[in-house]
Amino acid sequence: MPTFVCQFAQLLAASFVAGAAGSLLGLGGGIIVVPVMTLFLHIDFRTAAGASIIAVIATSSGSAAAYVRDRLANIKVGMLLEILTALGAVSGALLAGRLAGPLLFVVFSLVLMYSLVPTGRKIVSELRGRTAAHKAGDAVAQDRLALAMGLEGAYFDPSLGRVIEYRLRRVPLGAAIMYVAGLASGMLGIGSGAFKVLAMDSVMGMPIKSSTATSNFMIGVTAAASAGIYFSRGDIDPFVAAPVALGVLAGSLFGARILPRIAGVGIRIAFFVVIAAIAAQMLLHGLGVGR
Amino acid sequence: MKARGSRDAGPSRAVEVVVSLVLRIGVVLSATIICLGLALLVARGIISNEIRIDAAIPYPRDLGALLSGVFSLDPASVISLGLVVLIATPFARVAVSIVAFAIERDWRYVVVTALVLTILIAGIIMGKAVD
Repeated sequence: MPTFVCQFAQLLAASFVAGAAGSLLGLGGGIIVVPVMTLFLHIDFRTAAGASIIAVIATSSGSAAAYVRDRLANIKVGMLLEILTALGAVSGALLAGRLAGPLLFVVFSLVLMYSLVPTGRKIVSELRGRTAAHKAGDAVAQDRLALAMGLEGAYFDPSLGRVIEYRLRRVPLGAAIMYVAGLASGMLGIGSGAFKVLAMDSVMGMPIKSSTATSNFMIGVTAAASAGIYFSRGDIDPFVAAPVALGVLAGSLFGARILPRIAGVGIRIAFFVVIAAIAAQMLLHGLGVGR
Repeated sequence: MKARGSRDAGPSRAVEVVVSLVLRIGVVLSATIICLGLALLVARGIISNEIRIDAAIPYPRDLGALLSGVFSLDPASVISLGLVVLIATPFARVAVSIVAFAIERDWRYVVVTALVLTILIAGIIMGKAVD
């Protein structure tokens, strides 16, 4: 089989998985397609990061179309926090051109590992007291900013068979983390949905499914803020990005169909496992092990 | 203020429907153009046995070159156009929600959304200034 066609097919398949996983976990596809491109297909990191930006936008737009319609994604929360992520993304993209590839790998993996700690804690407490998952969202008193901006929300959860209502707290702290999320996105070419899910789920007390859906809604804008910069730098190779875009779009449409039916704790465990595996892989690569 | 404790909590239905529609149109349009570009690539016989996917097939790096490439049916330019449509989709989503929030007379979110769009546009302009 010709190299081009073979690599195209591999990227298409990997991107489908990335789009499906990304749409479920609020991560954008970058976290899966970047290692596939750099470690298995030996594509240059800058080209991989450019294609990853495309993957993130495709995951976001493909899945958010459904999440917004189903009210799983809260567009007011998303829009408000996008001010911070877009600012972070622009500053991050301007810095990225000045940093070396291996250093970016190490930064990438440390970002991912950091996001694991609170998620792991939540999984443990959820598995111990099974019903705790959605109580947190119901019980919190709204902070002043959340009240003023109308950040409360509600959605129907088929896996529980009832409407979940929630209010948010600690919005300023969540917003600060969103700036860091945008910064990482611009520098690394990932949507840094890990940080976004973390800020909404752990800090602001949003239910996990709404957190991943709203993260998906947001990551497209964060990535689009950096995409123009990548494009003018020539980092978006259309032949690498085409299979990524098509595969991720198909995968994200598939993922968005199944998220409403999955239990919240299942989403959180999958989130933990995917990030742990990728973080370890990227750290080894950044440190030059196995090259 | 909207009533709490009902399904009407949070953003209005109309804004959500419009945002969802814009995303869907952008995604379908982009995928269609990318597929057309790939069809052109195969038709022109550019792919050979030796070539890697990230080989140095030239592709446009600015909108001017991209558009003139599209008119001469250059596969790389057509695929890039599809990617530009994909990149533009979140921008379109933000721009359309400004209008949707204005129709809903939710001025807080008209300001919020306009601010996001301003930052996005600044990002593109600064990206050009850097290189």
